[in-house]
Amino acid sequence: MQVFLQTIIGGVSLGAIYALVALGFSLVYRTMGLVNFAHGNVVMVGAYLASTFYLSVRLPFGLAMLIAIVVTGLVGVVIERVLRPLEHKDFDLMLIGTIGFGVVLEAVAVLIWGATGRAVRSPVPARPLDIFGVRVRTYDLLVLAVAALATVGLVLFLQRTKRGAAMQAVAMDHEAATALGIHVGRSNAMAFVIGAGLAALAGGLVGPLLYVSPSMGGTLGIKGFAGAVLGGFGSIPGAIVGGIAIGVLDSFAAGHFQGYSELVTFVVFTVIIMVRPTGVFGERTVNRA
Amino acid sequence: MTAAAEPDALTVEHLSVHYGGISAVRDISFTVPAGQVVGLIGANGAGKTSTLKALLGLVPRQVGTLRLHGQDVRRVRARDMVRHGIGYVPEGRHVFPGLSVEKNLLLGAYARAWDARTRAGLDEVYGLFPVLGEMRRRLAGALSGGQQQMLAVGRALMSNPRLLLLDEPSMGLSPKLVEGILAVLQRLNSDGLSMLLVEQNAKLTFEAAATCLVVENGVVAMTGSSQEMSRDPQVRRIYLGL
Amino acid sequence: MRYRAGGLLLLAVAAWLLPYQLNRYSIHVANVTILFALLAIGLGLAMGVAGQINLAQVAFFGVGAYATAILSTRAGLGFWTAAALAMVAAAAVGVLVGLPALRMQSHYLGIVTLGLALAFTNWVTNTQLAGGAEGISAIPVPTLPGLDLSDEYLFYYVELVVFAAALAFGLFVVHTPLGRRMRAMRDDALAAGAVGVEVPMLRLIAFLLASLYGGVAGVLYAGLIQFVAPETFSIANMFLLLAMVIIGGRQSLVGCVVGAVTLALIRELLVDYPTYAQVAYGSVVVLTVVFAPTGLAGLPRRLTASLRRRGLARRPAGASAPTMRPFQPYEPEPEPEPVDRPPLLHVDGVSMRFRGLTALRTVSLTVGAGEIRGIVGPNGSGKTTLFNVISGLYRPAAGRVALADRDVTGARPYRLAHAGIARTFQNLRLFGALTVRDNVLVALDTSRLRGSWRYAIWPVGVWRHDRELNARADDVLARFGLDDFAHTLPGALPYGIQRRVEIARAMARQPALLLLDEPAAGLNGDEVRQLGEIVRSIRDSGVTVVLIEHNMGLVMSLCERVTVLAAGVVIAEGTPAQVARTPQVIEAYLGDSAMAGDLPAQVPAEAAR
Repeated sequence: MQVFLQTIIGGVSLGAIYALVALGFSLVYRTMGLVNFAHGNVVMVGAYLASTFYLSVRLPFGLAMLIAIVVTGLVGVVIERVLRPLEHKDFDLMLIGTIGFGVVLEAVAVLIWGATGRAVRSPVPARPLDIFGVRVRTYDLLVLAVAALATVGLVLFLQRTKRGAAMQAVAMDHEAATALGIHVGRSNAMAFVIGAGLAALAGGLVGPLLYVSPSMGGTLGIKGFAGAVLGGFGSIPGAIVGGIAIGVLDSFAAGHFQGYSELVTFVVFTVIIMVRPTGVFGERTVNRA
Repeated sequence: MTAAAEPDALTVEHLSVHYGGISAVRDISFTVPAGQVVGLIGANGAGKTSTLKALLGLVPRQVGTLRLHGQDVRRVRARDMVRHGIGYVPEGRHVFPGLSVEKNLLLGAYARAWDARTRAGLDEVYGLFPVLGEMRRRLAGALSGGQQQMLAVGRALMSNPRLLLLDEPSMGLSPKLVEGILAVLQRLNSDGLSMLLVEQNAKLTFEAAATCLVVENGVVAMTGSSQEMSRDPQVRRIYLGL
Repeated sequence: MRYRAGGLLLLAVAAWLLPYQLNRYSIHVANVTILFALLAIGLGLAMGVAGQINLAQVAFFGVGAYATAILSTRAGLGFWTAAALAMVAAAAVGVLVGLPALRMQSHYLGIVTLGLALAFTNWVTNTQLAGGAEGISAIPVPTLPGLDLSDEYLFYYVELVVFAAALAFGLFVVHTPLGRRMRAMRDDALAAGAVGVEVPMLRLIAFLLASLYGGVAGVLYAGLIQFVAPETFSIANMFLLLAMVIIGGRQSLVGCVVGAVTLALIRELLVDYPTYAQVAYGSVVVLTVVFAPTGLAGLPRRLTASLRRRGLARRPAGASAPTMRPFQPYEPEPEPEPVDRPPLLHVDGVSMRFRGLTALRTVSLTVGAGEIRGIVGPNGSGKTTLFNVISGLYRPAAGRVALADRDVTGARPYRLAHAGIARTFQNLRLFGALTVRDNVLVALDTSRLRGSWRYAIWPVGVWRHDRELNARADDVLARFGLDDFAHTLPGALPYGIQRRVEIARAMARQPALLLLDEPAAGLNGDEVRQLGEIVRSIRDSGVTVVLIEHNMGLVMSLCERVTVLAAGVVIAEGTPAQVARTPQVIEAYLGDSAMAGDLPAQVPAEAAR
């Protein structure tokens, strides 16, 4: 029972990261109908930026993350602008365009920071806390807290602000939204930037958990995407549930199958998706004109 | 004494809509005098919806003259038209299904600040459509067709328009609901709201509008007062292809 | 044609003589490039031709290579035996990976195939059988009588022959019925089903083909390097492959090869700066996708089109302004008396609901064989929903649909096509990247996919079948007056001609029942008149026609009987004149039955018959 709980706890903190990544995927898909395969690489850029400001420039952890989020948001703006002509036309091509961006981001990261990667020390003491006999690292709690805050912030934005409501409206019916005075292009760009910001947040948080390297974006992105799809692509609660589920699934797979954990995770994922292609909460289909 | 006559709510001349290789609308011209209701009737596929969408700029168009309350709006972008006082109730309602009734209505006032005046506007809409007030927290997608129609009209009213464009508000509604909508429209009109009503239901239009145009295959086949046209057998023949 | 043959000969000679120009290092690069080209062809077949997102191609490559390695080193089999079995393994994996494609497409399929590729790499990195992270070395050199294939120069010729055969086979598939169906499925899977393409099985075939090419490349790789390790089959290489196919032009196999060779060369040139190479090909992918979606292979066509627009290029010889010829009526069949007509289409109590909205409420109607039936009704009355239920796009919540005495409720569109139902669509659904001729050819093909084994064993039979289809296509095109447009893409044609192409395509299957969804929408008076003649002729040839229309003039003059729907319910049925005078109909359209007033007792066109 102890081991079981420990495995779950171990999976939840990484799962919270996957959930943030999944949130970014789902938000962009739900509002723009775009699947951004470069999202994982954006996470990686966020991780590098945050760790650079934290380690080399020696800024406080929180401030480093903030700056990383702003800069990464700009990267998001560039990607959206370039791919805008394809937005309501060829979906598969747009997908491939984002893959291209991902490749460029990874290469640029290698050029700037080298290929070897770096370890990021935890900003909080490393000694794990003991809660009811289960060992929990302080940093894991920090990750969960920040992820929860970000999610709450996102939900509040979507549900209580005018722009947030407009963003959702655009996704449901962009023509009706235009007739009401909403600038569809700007709304989409904002959604993309928020997605990139979430990616950067995930990247900044993941530094002390994983080894930061240019290739980390690939696995993080794929698992985050799988989490979003599992929970129901486009659904906000789905992204949280799906991301954490993938994290826990990963943790169990690593515990029982060691090296084969990815194999198990993806086979299980494939089976679940084939049984229920629209995920746990169902896909929030987007009105793609 | 020549008082300056109030400019027409809407002046359209030589409007054409041409896309996907089809001419949906061919050289239509008409006016909506201030404070009046003008009806646009015709069979399906005649070009009525395309006309409305073209007025707003939602579809590509060529137009000679387009004036709202005397102001030239030919170059105004679709998303800015609402700021010139034009409200739109789309065919098929097009409410935002995943948002609450109240959120839908508030979005109608997107072009304005969401302040006390907007709240007052909300109350007015709830006054017009009490059932919406009862369901203000419900998701719009869960409403019945008639309720969604009321929501769509209410949403358009939230922007305080001076001209309201309605596209087939009676579609899919029972006669009783249609009567209800008609009553609301007449009340709004008596308060000074000008309207352009597009409908397939000729009877409703004759009751609601002072003037009517019959559209057939993208051109205006007949115009006249509702009184004359309700008695004219030509109208029936056009509808039933005889 | 002469230029093409000459150019091909030149290329072949150049390829044969190439090794004499290259040193040891360069020939190795050439050998690896050919393998990439093979992989690119396979990926192009799945993605560009059949429209299936396949991010597992690198895993098929890995299965071929690792299976060969394992079987030849661990199981002690000879190289060629191991290779044969490896091909079987690759094919099996291909079909397995293709199964998700039956349930999902697009980005879902992308993430699933990508995940499975990762799963493969994860497996081989960990399992002892595959040598773990170090891989398997000392794979035996393949042997051919009299040749020492450890010599890379000789291996080059083996690869060249295999590549030539593989490319030829790929092109053969693309230009024959199987390839045509895949392209149709890519352009519009819905319409493809409606003209009889068995979409699920075709998706599996697409993945099977991709995996075969991947397997061949893997086998050759094992024989070439005699060493396999997980890094070669990484996601990075998958994206490189993807870049090759996109930049080259995924819809053209030759384009895929060009893309593969180009990127491989660039990679070689920048071998000391691999990261810059990565920036380069990533950027080119983005630029290609935004500015030149058809890739390098699409450039010649775009160039000629743009030159033609500026009046700098000549039109092809013998092309006077293309016109649509008049329709040539069918041979009329003897028409049975209306009373004798056996019922062909039975719709019995069909109800359809969407998320709480009832679109159809116990709708029943019967259409006699040889009848022209009109279905009319105000906006939102459920007409297209009814069509979609009859043609298999929706499964009704209740009720039955029967064709003659066969229950076809909820059957998939391609099964209905084989049963004799054809349809056109409200918003034209022609295959955009296929010529008019190809559109018709896809519909003409009534062969079943299970006969596709002939492609591997008996290509001559395929060839003959294709020739026969082409002859019949000529007939269909001539009848509908579309000869001049046979090689045009539908998008370049005026709307009225596109409509006629859609009808021609539907009639190519010689259906028993033809469903026309708003065929007159967007047509001018003349075109509507021609449409009426065409429909009458179609009926005279023995086909039953049911059409949805808003153009009441056409309905009244063309249809023998009319069914009126309003709010999902049948409110009237009868001859046009009867229906026009029915109070409920007038109320539904005009809002008031009292407006029936002075309508004529008989429809003028009816009186003239």
